[in-house]
Amino acid sequence: MEVILMKELLEANDKLAEENRAYFSSRHILAVNLMGAPGSGKTTLISAVARELPDLRIGVIEGDIASSIDAENLEKQGIRSSQINTCGECHLDSHVIREGADQLNMKDAIVFIENVGNLICPAEFDLGESVRLLAASVPEGDDKPFKYVPMFSYIDAVALTKCDLKDAVGFDTRNFLKGLRAVSKAPVFEVSLKKGAAPSGAAEVAAYLKKKYEEIK
Amino acid sequence: MHELPVVLDLLRVMDEETKKRGLHKVSRIRLVIGELSSIIDESVQMYFEIAAKDSVCANAALEFEHRPAVLKCLKCGKEFPHEKSFSCPDCGGDATLVKGTGREFYIESFDGE
Repeated sequence: MEVILMKELLEANDKLAEENRAYFSSRHILAVNLMGAPGSGKTTLISAVARELPDLRIGVIEGDIASSIDAENLEKQGIRSSQINTCGECHLDSHVIREGADQLNMKDAIVFIENVGNLICPAEFDLGESVRLLAASVPEGDDKPFKYVPMFSYIDAVALTKCDLKDAVGFDTRNFLKGLRAVSKAPVFEVSLKKGAAPSGAAEVAAYLKKKYEEIK
Repeated sequence: MHELPVVLDLLRVMDEETKKRGLHKVSRIRLVIGELSSIIDESVQMYFEIAAKDSVCANAALEFEHRPAVLKCLKCGKEFPHEKSFSCPDCGGDATLVKGTGREFYIESFDGE
């Protein structure tokens, strides 16, 4: 006999994501799922945004395949972090987020969930976040929105990082925006956080997140 | 890349659904996969063959139906499936993604006894 089912897969993850959403909401936390390729500047962006928001509590749930380098560096700057090692898994799922959130044990805060560096799989797993932020770096190329449609259509905002390298790598901002606009209305923040130079753009990302944080009150 | 957890979820659902209906064997499963869901048929097939061995789905055939993401031309309004280009095949205008299309990922039906 044929059984018509019409049943969503990844339902288990989606259920847990809703539980996480309720948890974050009950603690007045703005959860930000920060995604991006390896080396796109996710951790650097978190540090810079935290410096722009000295009056707000900032926490980080760090996802990495292995190591706790990022969490240690953030802790050195006084940013509370919990480390999740995925042991080879290419993305974070809702189950591990709850563990990371319990470790952090924060309230009234912006909590970044720094996802595993990957432009594909994280776009498949809702974590219960309120904001999906993508760090897309200039050296990756202006054609990425055309190639990684699942990710670029999944996000709420883009931090275009390493903008100081635009000329060096011949980055065509118009082409990047053309690809992005075909699949998303996400605002784009141009960011440059070169070591030793004055930071630019982090304040705008911080203001965007602060506004989102105030909206959940 | 993450087809193993997907296959395990599929087997969990099939186990529940067959038990509910008193079925003991599944011969065919039809999956609908949207273009934007990043799931590769061959990987699902490979993991399925390994993971389904001792389950109610052992030796079941998998059928994949693909759904494209749909774009809408901002100039002339034509809707067309996203293949390689974001430009309208009729007028060449820029297009925008029709929300929700291409994200499908579900079990449509199965044959059981």
